[in-house]
Amino acid sequence: MSRVAEQAYLRTRLAILNARRRRAPQLQALMELDNDELAAEFGLEPGQLDENALDLFEQSQLQTWLNELNSLLRPLNGADRAVLVQWARRYEVLNLKALVRGKLSGLSRSEIESSLFVLPGFLHLDHEPLLNTDDVMDLLRRLKDTPYRELGRMAMRRFAEQQDPFLLDASLDQQFYSGLSNCVARLSEPDRTAMRNLVGRMVDRHNLIWLLRYRHNYQLQPAEVLYLSISGGLQLTREHLRQILQMPTLVESLERLPPGMQRLIGNSANLVEIRDALVNDLQHQAELSLRSTQSVLTSVFAYLLLRYYEIKTTNAIVQARFTRLPDELLRDALFGDTLTVSEEVA
Amino acid sequence: MRAGHDMLHLTVHLMRDDLPSAGLALAEIGAFVPDNRPLRMEQMPEVPGASFRDRMRHARSYLDRLESLQADLGIPAVEGEGDPFLVLRRAQLVEVDNWLADAWKHCAPTEARLHDIQEQVSELEQLEKSLSDFADLDVDLSHLQGRNEYLDLRIGTVPAANVERLREALSLEHYLIVRVLGRGETVRVAIAGLRQEQAPLGNILAAAGFQPLEIPAAFRESPEKVRQMLQRSRAAIETLHGQMQKHLADWVDSNRGELGRARRLLDAAEPYVELGDSARAQGAVAILQGWLPAGALTEAEQLLKGQLQQPFVMDTRRPRPDERHLVPVPVARSLLLKPFAILMQQYGVPRFGEFDPTILFAVTFAAMFGMMFGDVGHGLVFVAVGIALRHKLKDFTTLFIIAGSMATLFGFLYGSIFGVEHWLHPLWMSPMSDPMYMLTLAFGWGVAFLSLGSFIAIYNRLVVGDLIGALFDPGGVFSLVMYYALLGGMIVLIQDGSWPWGATVLIVLTLGLLMAYQWRELEAPFGERLLTVIIETFEIVNGYVSGSLSFLRVAAFSLNHVALSVAVFTLADMMDGAGYWAMVVGGNIFIIVLEGLIVSIQTLRLEYYEGFSRYFYADGTRYTPLRTRTRFTPDKSSTRLRNEASS
Repeated sequence: MSRVAEQAYLRTRLAILNARRRRAPQLQALMELDNDELAAEFGLEPGQLDENALDLFEQSQLQTWLNELNSLLRPLNGADRAVLVQWARRYEVLNLKALVRGKLSGLSRSEIESSLFVLPGFLHLDHEPLLNTDDVMDLLRRLKDTPYRELGRMAMRRFAEQQDPFLLDASLDQQFYSGLSNCVARLSEPDRTAMRNLVGRMVDRHNLIWLLRYRHNYQLQPAEVLYLSISGGLQLTREHLRQILQMPTLVESLERLPPGMQRLIGNSANLVEIRDALVNDLQHQAELSLRSTQSVLTSVFAYLLLRYYEIKTTNAIVQARFTRLPDELLRDALFGDTLTVSEEVA
Repeated sequence: MRAGHDMLHLTVHLMRDDLPSAGLALAEIGAFVPDNRPLRMEQMPEVPGASFRDRMRHARSYLDRLESLQADLGIPAVEGEGDPFLVLRRAQLVEVDNWLADAWKHCAPTEARLHDIQEQVSELEQLEKSLSDFADLDVDLSHLQGRNEYLDLRIGTVPAANVERLREALSLEHYLIVRVLGRGETVRVAIAGLRQEQAPLGNILAAAGFQPLEIPAAFRESPEKVRQMLQRSRAAIETLHGQMQKHLADWVDSNRGELGRARRLLDAAEPYVELGDSARAQGAVAILQGWLPAGALTEAEQLLKGQLQQPFVMDTRRPRPDERHLVPVPVARSLLLKPFAILMQQYGVPRFGEFDPTILFAVTFAAMFGMMFGDVGHGLVFVAVGIALRHKLKDFTTLFIIAGSMATLFGFLYGSIFGVEHWLHPLWMSPMSDPMYMLTLAFGWGVAFLSLGSFIAIYNRLVVGDLIGALFDPGGVFSLVMYYALLGGMIVLIQDGSWPWGATVLIVLTLGLLMAYQWRELEAPFGERLLTVIIETFEIVNGYVSGSLSFLRVAAFSLNHVALSVAVFTLADMMDGAGYWAMVVGGNIFIIVLEGLIVSIQTLRLEYYEGFSRYFYADGTRYTPLRTRTRFTPDKSSTRLRNEASS
């Protein structure tokens, strides 16, 4: 497919897919439905919203996301394709984390399997042989034929002393986001700058939240936290990270943030609020990219990102209905700020 | 020429107890593809064998691990032994699974020790390298071991990808990486800093995957002594490795019978497991559904008759229109067409019922390669290389032979042999004698190629009942009429100097129809809709124009071939004796390798982008029939039928 045809195809696809996306008001409307109406909204039989159906529902939501990704991947090649595939690899990482935690907790094969995502063919981690392992060391040994070989070796040494998945989780995240940043760096203009605007924000969010958590909640050394941080942030440079890490308190760390980021998080010193502010900013930027960027690839990425958050919110609503979580609590958790941002965009 | 034209949907009605035998019998044919849709869920709600499947996977995972360990220690896998077991009963499976679990429990420590040994070997290798690496380091080597009051110096290995981040992180603790040695995934590093009261590096180094190298006491002594010590360590590790190998080999020997039996039983049961949701049951009765080529039907019936204990009924039907994208489509497996089928599958699998492009692809690929690379000598070299490297090239051997033969044929037509244009009288003409004529011919070839592509696209859409698509899609009737009008107008303009009004009417009419259709199909805001319609229509026009011009490369490369040869001989003429021949031989090798590669890529590009992208849905289902790892029934006519079924 030529570049012109590729762009026409993707723009057309995006226009159709984006029209179907549920915005904040529609998501809020979902909360007004009772259980049977909610089930009907997603094509389930009334009274079918049980635990089993919930798992299937979440899987089907993910499958829809992956199908959409697949249809958008079709005309893409090379670095453009690689960046979207890397983004989908987050599910590979989540599966690996679930496998390690499952093995550490001594869960049965079927219990672990039920928490895994069914991955599409373009992702390469085959979880079947990993499920059939005796324990976590056996699992890590079997990573030798996967892209996670080096992490497996490192984790084996670590697990021999202490069975704590923290370092493996952090290293997996680091490998994932570094891979994404590297993919963006290989793009040509105008895709690179536009994509960096989104991916850089994701890296900033991940770096800041985990950096504050590691440093001030877990009391890790600055050097170790700096090692676990990811390069490729948009506003948070390595120098910012060094300065933030060397501050003794959370408040002083936050004072070292670049002005743009300080404006975003306001006076909050609460990690959940900070995370929500950064997620809202990311969604806001994604909405803008979807509408106005010259880079079709970035529009595709922005759409997938927004769909990801939409699915996450939908799952939370359905889950909350099932567990009878009070509406107020869920509304505050989901729409406290998002609605404001989405309304501004609209 | 229609992809998967003889595929049938097969439903076998049988007794539940016969399902494992049926699975095995159908797998023996190697042509049956299970259909996992819940087609008769109401009458047959159960999917039998779920627990059997879990147990089987469990047992297979132990066997796979045992075989992988044997392979790591260089012990050949045990072949399946014992009487042919067609049906693995549940009790047998439990017994096999338990035996394999015990066997793995016995062997797992060996695997863990093997892993430790591999780590030790790698460490030893790093240490050996470090001996020479650090020999010229400007520090007292005795500081590399034991405690030093002021200096904290560590050497070890770290993944190369982590070095820069580690360097940055260490700088926060006032440590330096003073040396990085080696290449590849793991490098050796020396880290130095002021010794601090609370040594802070442990966690950072662990996070970076730093593996310290234990410096032996002998490091201070003479290099010869150190080398001897390392050799002794290596010998000790090798002895341990040998002992483990012997231990496992002895265990395999003493359990050969059981291992062989387990393997054979699991192999026999595998097809039943692979049936998945294609087998459904209600009480004692069951159905099995899938896809089968008509050519394999008789053998399937014979095998089922021979293997099933109880009566069964087979129903077949042609695939329904709504099942087109689900029907698995076998690809050509004949020696001549197989490489082309593989290349075609890189693009996609034909959808059931659409035009199977394998033969057309093979013919046009060979023809275009020959046209662009016409030279008797170079073509014969291609053939010779294909034959000489047949064991490495495998299925692609025939591609080399066909491409080389066509290059030879066109070499005779062009009168070219190893770039020499005067040794052979051309049967047709030398490309250089009339470049414009060659370019015109190439353009004509392109028009014919694109027209054929459009005809096939129209056919493919009509076959699936998509009349609208046949008329309006890119490559459909209206696009083709627009293309011919444009082409006709251009020809008249060149010949008569004026643009015919008829062509204008046709172009405006067809473009209007195409735009109206796209406008109707698209759901988007007004501005985006308008933009998309304009771009897509422009793309159709542009696609035909640029596509036609793309084929000029067929002529351009035939001219390029001659021009390169002329350049080689011109350079050779500037030298004498050995220099002349070195230039001629070297130049010809250069032409064969470089131009051969470029022409192959260009031909493939024309096929993919100007051919397949116009008419090929390429979203068919890959044909992956149920197969057995080993044969269980006596070999009769199955091989013949298997080939027929797959071709």
